[in-house]
Amino acid sequence: MAKIRVIFESGDPERVIEFNPADAPFHHDGQPGSILDVLLGNHVHLEHACGGNCACTTCHVIVKSGFNKLSESSEQEEDLLDKAPGLTPTSRLACQAVIDDPDAELVVVIPRYTINQISEGVAKPEP
Amino acid sequence: MRDHNADTRSLFLRLVDGGRISFTPGQFISVSLTLDGDTRVRPYTIASSPYDTDAIEICFNQVPGGVGVRYLFERKVGDELQFTGPFGAFTMDRAPERECVFIAEGTAIAPIRPMIRRALDAGTRPALSLLYAAPDSSHLLYREEIERWSKEGVDFVPVLAGAAELYDRLIAEVQRRWIDADSDRTRHFYVCGVGKGVLRLRDLLRGAGYERRAVHYEQW
Repeated sequence: MAKIRVIFESGDPERVIEFNPADAPFHHDGQPGSILDVLLGNHVHLEHACGGNCACTTCHVIVKSGFNKLSESSEQEEDLLDKAPGLTPTSRLACQAVIDDPDAELVVVIPRYTINQISEGVAKPEP
Repeated sequence: MRDHNADTRSLFLRLVDGGRISFTPGQFISVSLTLDGDTRVRPYTIASSPYDTDAIEICFNQVPGGVGVRYLFERKVGDELQFTGPFGAFTMDRAPERECVFIAEGTAIAPIRPMIRRALDAGTRPALSLLYAAPDSSHLLYREEIERWSKEGVDFVPVLAGAAELYDRLIAEVQRRWIDADSDRTRHFYVCGVGKGVLRLRDLLRGAGYERRAVHYEQW
């Protein structure tokens, strides 16, 4: 089984998720088998404003351990990461970073500002 | 609410609390959709300009299996939508100083529209071009507005092509107009569309010598 330890900079309690990459959630947003897919499928909230389509940076995570166990980033992901606040050498977009290795052990930090930059609203269509 | 054609609609959204949504041209909002008890978020680009009134416009079209747009098509005037945002890194933060080429297809004109309006509002502005593709003329959106832009000097290049050849046609136009025609590589490009064709355009332009950061793109 692969394992992801999720650390929240917001101070929320850590979560540890064990899963089999061969059949891990798959039915959520982001690339099938991506960190985002696995987290959402295990009821761990992670922002993904663009729906996991590699069109924003709200699912930016910092991979503290197991970085080389992830799929390679694309030029598109790198172009977006350039614009992510708090970029680190082991930053990834969770929607694009896929875990294939059944023995992978990852430690992933969800930055605080990912949450802080969200503003909510309610709007009505008008004629 | 505005129907552009049989399968494309704009919704004009006003905040319930009466506030204004501050955004940068090119950004999107992330709408929460509850479907079959499952909450999903789907992004919709703001097609209006920050200069507009306090309503924002989102524009979308029917796509096979598209649960998000189906949900939006079912909304009526006065319904409430939950959203977060604005988001997105495909933006024009300031009026351009260099020649700009905007490339879009179908509803992907949405982020380009406020960008061009920002560029046109600049006092001294560089040359602007819009290469815009759709399967037929009814899917070239905002035509009256684009005609006005043309009168203000925007070089408008429409391309009518079916889905199978749409990006081949765009690539051929880009090759001819902005790669083969001269050696100027100082232009900025803003490309938005659906599918891998957007990445082909990115690779073409960067491969031809345009600066990586001068080739802006958003692929859906």
